[in-house]
Parts: sequence; C-alpha cells; structure tokens
Amino acid sequence: MSLRRVLGVVGLMEIFFGIAMAAPLAVSLIYRDGDALAFLGAMVLTIAAGGALSRLARGDSEITTREGFAIVTLGWTGAAAFGALPYLFTGTAGGFWRALFESMSGLTTTGATIFSDIEALPRGILFWRSLTHWIGGMGIIVLAIAVLPYLGVGGMQLFRAEVPGPTPERLRPRIAQTAKLLWLVYLGMTLAQSLLYRLGGLDWFDAITHTFATLATGGFSTRNDSLAAFPSPFVQYVTILFMYLAGINFALHFRALTGRLEYFRDQEWRFLTGIILGSGLVLAGVNLVGGAHPLTTGGVEEAVRTGLFQSTSITTTTGFVSADYEAWLPAGQVILLALMFVGGMAGSTGGGIKAVRVLLLLKHGWLEVRKHLHPRAIFLTRVGRQTVGEGVMANIIGFVLLYLLLLLAGILVLGFMGMDLLTALGASAATVGNIGPGWGAVGATDHYGWMEAPALAVLTFLMLVGRLEIYTVLLLLLPETWRRRRPRSVRT
Amino acid sequence: MRVLIVGAGEVGFHLAERLSQEGQDVVLLEQDPERADFASKQLDVLTLAGNGASLPVLEKAGVKGARILLAVTSQDEVNLISCLAASRMGVEFTVARVSNPEYFQRGSVLSGDQMGIDLLINPERECAWETFQLLQAAAATDVAQFAQGRVELLGVRVKEGAPVAGRTLAEVGVELKDLHYNTVAIRRGDRTIIPRGADRVLVGDQIYVLAPTEEVGRIHQLAGHEDFELRRVMIAGGSEEGAYLAEMLEQNGIECTILDHDRRRCLELAERLPRSLVLHADATDLELLEMEGVAGIDGFVACTGQDETNMLASLLAKSVGARKVVSLVHRFAYLSIVAKVGIDAAVSPRMSTVNAILRYVRRGRVLTVAALQGIDAEAIEFSVGPGAPIVGRPLHEVQIPAGAFIGTILRGEEIILPRGGDCIQAGDEVIVFTLPEAISRVERLFAE
Repeated sequence: MSLRRVLGVVGLMEIFFGIAMAAPLAVSLIYRDGDALAFLGAMVLTIAAGGALSRLARGDSEITTREGFAIVTLGWTGAAAFGALPYLFTGTAGGFWRALFESMSGLTTTGATIFSDIEALPRGILFWRSLTHWIGGMGIIVLAIAVLPYLGVGGMQLFRAEVPGPTPERLRPRIAQTAKLLWLVYLGMTLAQSLLYRLGGLDWFDAITHTFATLATGGFSTRNDSLAAFPSPFVQYVTILFMYLAGINFALHFRALTGRLEYFRDQEWRFLTGIILGSGLVLAGVNLVGGAHPLTTGGVEEAVRTGLFQSTSITTTTGFVSADYEAWLPAGQVILLALMFVGGMAGSTGGGIKAVRVLLLLKHGWLEVRKHLHPRAIFLTRVGRQTVGEGVMANIIGFVLLYLLLLLAGILVLGFMGMDLLTALGASAATVGNIGPGWGAVGATDHYGWMEAPALAVLTFLMLVGRLEIYTVLLLLLPETWRRRRPRSVRT
Repeated sequence: MRVLIVGAGEVGFHLAERLSQEGQDVVLLEQDPERADFASKQLDVLTLAGNGASLPVLEKAGVKGARILLAVTSQDEVNLISCLAASRMGVEFTVARVSNPEYFQRGSVLSGDQMGIDLLINPERECAWETFQLLQAAAATDVAQFAQGRVELLGVRVKEGAPVAGRTLAEVGVELKDLHYNTVAIRRGDRTIIPRGADRVLVGDQIYVLAPTEEVGRIHQLAGHEDFELRRVMIAGGSEEGAYLAEMLEQNGIECTILDHDRRRCLELAERLPRSLVLHADATDLELLEMEGVAGIDGFVACTGQDETNMLASLLAKSVGARKVVSLVHRFAYLSIVAKVGIDAAVSPRMSTVNAILRYVRRGRVLTVAALQGIDAEAIEFSVGPGAPIVGRPLHEVQIPAGAFIGTILRGEEIILPRGGDCIQAGDEVIVFTLPEAISRVERLFAE
C-alpha cells in the first residue's frame, strides 16, 4: 500500500470539498450574515491543504483494494475535519469536537445536532449544514469519480467501498458513467422536491435546505421543531414521498426515468415498501387507540400522515420529526426502535443495516430452521430470482454481527460516561444507523449539545463507521492492512 | 410418401418401424455401419450408412423427392444441420430432436423458423410432460387427452375385487348406463384385444377407456382404484427429465421434493427450482426417503440416468407405501417388464419422442395421436371432412377394419359413444383406437 498515493487521492477529494464551500460563502454574502470571511478562510485552507496533498500523487493512479479502503476512510475523515472549519471560524460551535461532530453528522447524513437553538444560527452556517448532507448523501467519492475521469480504473474499488449495500450495481460499463448518472438522478430529484416545497409555501432557503436534508436521508432542519414547524399537510406529504424515494436504490430510479419501471420486480423494494406502509399504518392505529393523545385530534388523516411520516423518516434513516414520538404509547415507540434496524435499500442514500441485509438474514434464519427438518437439503438464499452465494451471505451475517457489536460497544462506553440506558441506547442506535434523533436525552425534541467531548468523539466515530458500512473503516484498524507486500505485477 | 429418418438409434429405429408398418416409404440414414446393417435386416426400409448432415449422403438417400425428414440422432447439432440442409433441398416438413434448450428458446440465433425446421422436439421435456400427465391421472398407467382436454384416454390396471373384474363388457355396460365411457382395448399379458361386448375383463388386465374428462375419476373406481388428488411428489434423480417435471409441478402448485446424488447438480437444481425441496441424497437410500415422507406420498418418480436404479428405487418407494410410482426407463426392452414387477407406470424419453413425432407426421386431418407406452396401439383423433368415405353411413354398414375401434364422436358440445346405428357427419371429430396394422386402412376411411 502506498501512503503517498492514498494521501494524493484524498487531497483531490478535499479540493472538491473545498470548492463546495463557495455555496455557503455565496449564501452568507446574499443574506449579509457577516460570516463570509470565515467561509472564505475555511475554503482557502481546505483547497490549499488538498492541493498540497494531491501533489503527492504522481505517475499511474492504479488503486488497489486496500488503498481504496484507506482513501475512502481518510477522505471522509478529512472532509469531516475540513467541514468543521466553518463552524469553528464562525464561532458557532464552541469547541473542536463539537464542530467535528456537527460536520460528521452532516456528511454521514445522520442529522444529529449539537445546536440547541437552530433558528438563531446564521444563514450561511444553516446552508452549510444542509449542503454537507447533500454531498455526503450521494458520496464524495461518487462525485469525484463522476468528475475525475482518471480515477476510472481504481474507481470501482472506491465506489465499492463507499456505496451502501452488499454489491453496487453498474448502470453503464464504465464506473465514471455510472457515477455521473447517479448524480444526475440525484440532481433531478433535488430540483423536483425544491419546486414542490416552493409550491407548498416554503421560501427558497427553507425549500432548498430541507430538500438537501431529505434526499440525503440526513435530517438537519433549519427549524427547532424540525418538520413540525411546517404544519401544512402538503409539505409533509412531499417530505414523506421524497424521504421514501431517497431510501430506494437510485439505480431503480434511473431505470424508471429511462422508461423501465422495475420497482415492483425488486424484492428488496417490496420488502422496504411493505415495512414502511405496514408500520406507518400500525403507528397510526396505535396513536388513534391512545385516544387522549393531542396529536390525533386532527382525526384519521392526521394520524395516518404522522404515522407514515415517522415510519418513513426512521426506516430510511432520515430522522426528520413531525411529532414528539417520545410522547407516544410504548407500542408506537418500540415499533420505531425496531425500524431503526432496517435502513434504506442498498444503493440508496439511506443508512442503517439496509433492507436487503435484513431481508436476507430473515430468509437465512428461516432456512436454518428448515435445515433441521431436512438435514440433507440444499437450500439457496435468494432475493427475487437472484441467488445469493454463501460468501455474500457470510459477509452479511458478519456485517450485521459487527453492527450490533458496535452498537453494544457504543452503549457500554456511553453508559460508563454516566448516561442513562435509554439515552445511551438511543444515541448509539441513532448514530451508527445515521438516523439522528434517538431516545431519552437525545429524543425527538432534544439535541446532542449537552454531551462532553469524549462522548461526542465516540459518536462521531460511530457515525463514520456506520456510513462507510463498518468493514471499510475497521480494516484500517488492522495492522495487516498497513504491512508492505510485494508489489503485484499481475492484475486480475 | 417418402420419409427420411436420420439416425437409427432407438428413436429412429422405432419411428422407421412404425412408419413402415403404416405403408410409408422410409429411408433410414445411420452413421454406424453395423447399426445400419442391423436395421436393414430387421425392417422393411431402405438403410444407408453415412452422415445425415452431409449433403452428398442426403442426396444419395433421395432427399429431393422426400416429403418429410426426421433428424433424431442423439446429437443436437447433427440434427439441426440435417434439417437445415433438407429444408434447403425442398423437403416439406423437417423435424429435429434437440435436447439443449438453448437452441430453441425464444430469441435464440438458431430459432427453428429461421433454420426452416418445422418442429423441434426435446425428448426430456416430452417425457417430463407425459410423466406429469400420468401423475395427475391418479391410477392410470397411460393417459392421453383429446379434443382440447374434453375427452381422455386412460389405461388402468384392473385390481382384485374391482367392480368390472370377471364380467363381460356388455354386463358392465348394462349396469352402468349413466356412465359415458367406452372400453377400447384390453391388454392381457402380451396380447392387445380390441374388445367386443362379449369379451370378459379379468383381474390383472390393463383396460383402455375413452371417457369425458369429468368422469375419469369414476373409471378409476371401476377398476378398483381410489381416485386421489396430486399434492406431493418426490422425484428421485435430478436428470433433465426430473428437472423439467419439477418445473411443471412447481408451476401447478404441487409440492415437490427432488433428490440427486451429485452435490453440484443439487446446487444447479436448487438454483433452477425455487419452490422445490432439493436433497443431496441417493435415489435408493430408503432411510432418507422415509424420513422425507415417501410413505403415503401421492407420486414418486424415479428419474436417474440408470434404468436399474430407477426400477429399484420405484420398487422401494412402492413397498413403503408411495401411492403412484412412475419409473423412467430408457431401454425399450425394459418397458414390458415394468408392469410385471409392480411399478405403476413407465415413461421413456425415446418413446415420448416417437409419440411426439408421429403426432406431427400424421397431421392434416389428424388432430391428436397418442401412442401408448405399454401397448402397441394408437389413439388417433380425426377431423372429418365432407368427402370422407365414412360420412353419412350408419356405422354397422361401414367396413371398420379389424383391430380398429371408433371410440368417441364429438359433435359440437356433444360427446357421443357410437353404436351401430350412428352416422358420422362432416365436421365431427372422431377418436379411433387402432392397432398399428390397421392404421393405414383407418386413415383411408377418413381421407377425402
């Protein structure tokens, strides 16, 4: 593994990221919130650091699998660090770890915030928070691959390491074309949602920032009450629709746009849609039965809307809140807790375990039971018509196991730091799954700002590991990864 | 009419024998000189040694004057090329035996139409289809459908204590006036009898009955069997025939277990058959078969590549209480002993191929032909044209050839079991059961 090459590519990524800071700079200038200099400083620093690093990369840029993992992990960590600069320079965050937490939460599309009074923040910062969501949603690397043709060859390694799900689909033979198409779909959806929000009465600023947060399944809002600040049913239905769309494999959207409606043929899609609709209706029922609840005074329509909103928001790991679910009956709350372990589809911008893994795990478990009845039987696990090899299945089982272990480790550490069980569980689950709001002191209406630096650092790490799907990051913690090996002359 | 047959294997030999008996001029091409020599001594056909895919050989065989070419060697590619050559030489109908499904899937480069091939026959698939029909007809040893499934021909073995056992057909007929059926043949030992009213049915006979499909269940009872619905089937042996059968069962929502001794084949089967239970096991592993519920299973089909294993597995399954046991038998010689050892029915991919081809060769006025596995006879469904000699005369005035039996007349929605006074009209569909030697004379009755 060549550290030079790794840092070189990481440097290129940071240049891109730095250029993106021009957007909040412009916003800051438009609204005259006085932070323009801070953004300019952060931008110059990021681009300069990226430029310096990128000079390390010379000659051929063939990237090995290991380097791919290193580039993605270091690239994301670097982006989170540079992305923290605007918070630091504007003096809004109050401390390095707090700024890093907010930045990582934005990039990993978690949506957990340290700010208690969001509405008091300057416009430029609010825009930057949403923009980090939007960039992190489709992925920095995917963006880089789309724009930088020379990353093409090693691109697949990077693509694999960054795109959520067991195996990314190629829409076109060349990975750079695939990345471009994905970004095009993403852009198109952004435009559509912003316009719909505008129709629903939001101003351009709210429309665009919330669109960024929805499509990335992020969850940052510009309002203290999150989406509850917009009581218009139209706005909420638009949000439900686009959270749901963002939780679907973008390859399916792309095919739909080219005239091939293949949603229903996809078993993972049917599974996810079934879960969201089913649990949304059950939540509505629970809230209607718990009659005394003020939320249901609006009647069945409002109960169904709120139920669907929260089931979609938690399942796709967006983390928007349209009601304080901690005030719901326990039955409703445990449903939401269970949904935290589903996540979006592979190839979506959603986080979590991913619907396909959950589906396969359930199927695999069922087959293991049947194996006891038929010891000589040969069973294949499949999604739709596609069979899943034993290697992939083992990978998935390992992933889910590590995911749960990581969650447990998070709970343990937070518990030792003095948090109560519910808060520790909520915070861990909400950050590993890139969801945002949890339970207890980090519930629907709370924030993470009260935590000490060590706790924030732990959660920052959990967000990164969750977004990059565990293996990518954990690999770098193994000494073997860094050991030199004979250069391979034969490419396979 | 000259018929060219390429390949004198069991399929080609059998086809040549049948067609020659029916009075066709058959030319048989075979690459292996010994095999060719054997065929020329046994059959009244012209036999030539040579490659059927080679143009000079085909020309020598008189391909120019031939109306039909049947390419039935065991090699798909040879069959395809022969047909291609023949259709270029002006042969009217070409039939190729092709096992590899990739050659006749839709959208394949070599689609039959483009190659000028009129019929592609997949022996394994034909065989699986026949097995599937047999399984569905509970106690039947043979089954064939006519008139879009409205009428069925059924072979059933008469059990001890059956209502028909020991009585003449006339006696049974008087008693069961409301039942619409016609006993068209009785197979006793190695003899096939075209019965008259005075003939007696004995225990152990195999009776062939034509009946409307909805009354078929009662025919089973008549022969002492109970009718049952097919719910669970076990297929021992993951051959191509077994896999096709499992696919058909899956499509019809019947629970299917399939086993094979080769692990890699099992993986292929599991990939191909999402709703079946695939087991890695031996077809004759009785302990496992019992554990997987072979006792009381509705259907057991032995489908390995080896006849001996199939027959043994079938007997094992029967001994522990499988309700209907079908064995795949490749060698024609074994077909005749299947019934004697107690296996309910046998199917053969080659026989199925012969049937499928015969059905095709006689088309025109002929709608359906069924050659039966256990018996040397055929049931043919004719569509009657206005100029046919049989039209308009009471049947007792018509010289029906010996060895033939007019089983059923279909007139619109009506199903008529003909008596001597009945007349056949133009536009009727008639099912005739006939021994091979009477076929050509029967055909003359219906020809225009």
